Amino acid sequence: MDFAGAFSPANLVFLMDGLYITLIVAFVSIILSFIIGVVVGVIRYAEVPVLSPVMFFLVELIRNLPLLLIIFFVRFALPEIGIKLGLITAAIAALTVFEAAMIAEIVRGGLAAVDKGQIEAARSSGLSSFQTLWHIVLPQGLRHMVPPLVSQFISLLKDTSLATIVALPELMHNAKIVMGQKESYTIPILLMVALMYFVVNYLLSLVSRRLEHKTV
Amino acid sequence: MIDFHQVEKHYGHFHVLKSIDLHVEEGEVVVVVGPSGSGKSTMLRCINRLETITSGGLTVDGITVNERKTDINKLRKEIGMVFQHFNLYPHKKVIDNITLAPVKVLGLPKAEAEKTAMYYLEKVGIADKAQSYPNQLSGGQQQRVAIARGLAMKPKIMLFDEPTSALDPEMVGEVLDVMRNLAREGMTMVVVTHEMGFAKEVADRVIFMDQGQIVEEAAPAEFFASPKEERTRTFLSRVLSH
Repeated sequence: MDFAGAFSPANLVFLMDGLYITLIVAFVSIILSFIIGVVVGVIRYAEVPVLSPVMFFLVELIRNLPLLLIIFFVRFALPEIGIKLGLITAAIAALTVFEAAMIAEIVRGGLAAVDKGQIEAARSSGLSSFQTLWHIVLPQGLRHMVPPLVSQFISLLKDTSLATIVALPELMHNAKIVMGQKESYTIPILLMVALMYFVVNYLLSLVSRRLEHKTV
Repeated sequence: MIDFHQVEKHYGHFHVLKSIDLHVEEGEVVVVVGPSGSGKSTMLRCINRLETITSGGLTVDGITVNERKTDINKLRKEIGMVFQHFNLYPHKKVIDNITLAPVKVLGLPKAEAEKTAMYYLEKVGIADKAQSYPNQLSGGQQQRVAIARGLAMKPKIMLFDEPTSALDPEMVGEVLDVMRNLAREGMTMVVVTHEMGFAKEVADRVIFMDQGQIVEEAAPAEFFASPKEERTRTFLSRVLSH
């Protein structure tokens, strides 16, 4: 084990570059998949004719495919039909599609868990179904959603490492290159990478715990 | 004010309401009693279309409830409803529970809605709880807030669906007091309840339902002193014996 050699300034900077890409890809994917997931989840919940069954089909299709397949599809299949995306954009697109399907299910489940009596009280006072959704069901449903949403975001952050297979220069990808220099670097670098993932994800769950306290 | 004409309702094979004929006058207090599963709550919930009917006619204030072109949200403005489990919005303060519908449905300015809300909170005796959240209140207080919430829409009719069934015994009285006052002021009320004392004292008319049918209806004095139907007598002997 060569900790000193493995943690040379050049290596650490290279790892930080990877972490930076990981965070950018994860951050953008989280924002986009959250927005899309909420919209799709609400449509699924609201049982809109035609639209809801179509969303149901898409969500089920995506949820039952491996993320790696979706990454391959975006990276290798889309260019075949003329859609060429940069490496980072392709990774974000694949992660967003996959995570949005997961989040849609969390959102639908959270909304469905709101007590039916709440809806009856709101509707019987003359509120429309949209007003009831907006003022009563969504705010209460969000509380049910915070814990599963955060674990989904943590999964997403970890799943960015799958994009290493299409040579996205994220943390895992760069770690592999550093480890390739010397066998004695393997353990130090893996420990360092583990520490980086852990710190970021643990901070995320701390934020979520505060959020839960605030909303409940 | 409320007119049921030969109303039938089925849940799949289950016949919940059987040829219901009921007429409620403006200002009248009608109390509906009967065993669990007799269809009394379902009948009540048909009035504001929380339940739909299978056939027959149902009009409220001259408006046909189950018709495509009926604007149900407009009709519901006129009908307040109080539930067994209160159904206050847990994420909103008491005052915001009450002002939500007046602001969003009636379009009242927030300040005016709050003034009205305070007036009704005063009336049900818990103005000091305006800034509390529902889970900080006792069951009896929550139900009084729910009544204030219904009244703040200034409805023509108030529906009560077993309003005291989920309360601890010592809190039943405070809720019934509020309802009694409301009845005195001339509100049109339909009350589904197991409180026979309330029915005796406050009702203009008592309806007895069993197995989806209205078995008997009479003024309370007559209803409790000399029920005509065998099923009514059996029911009364069970609920009044203890």
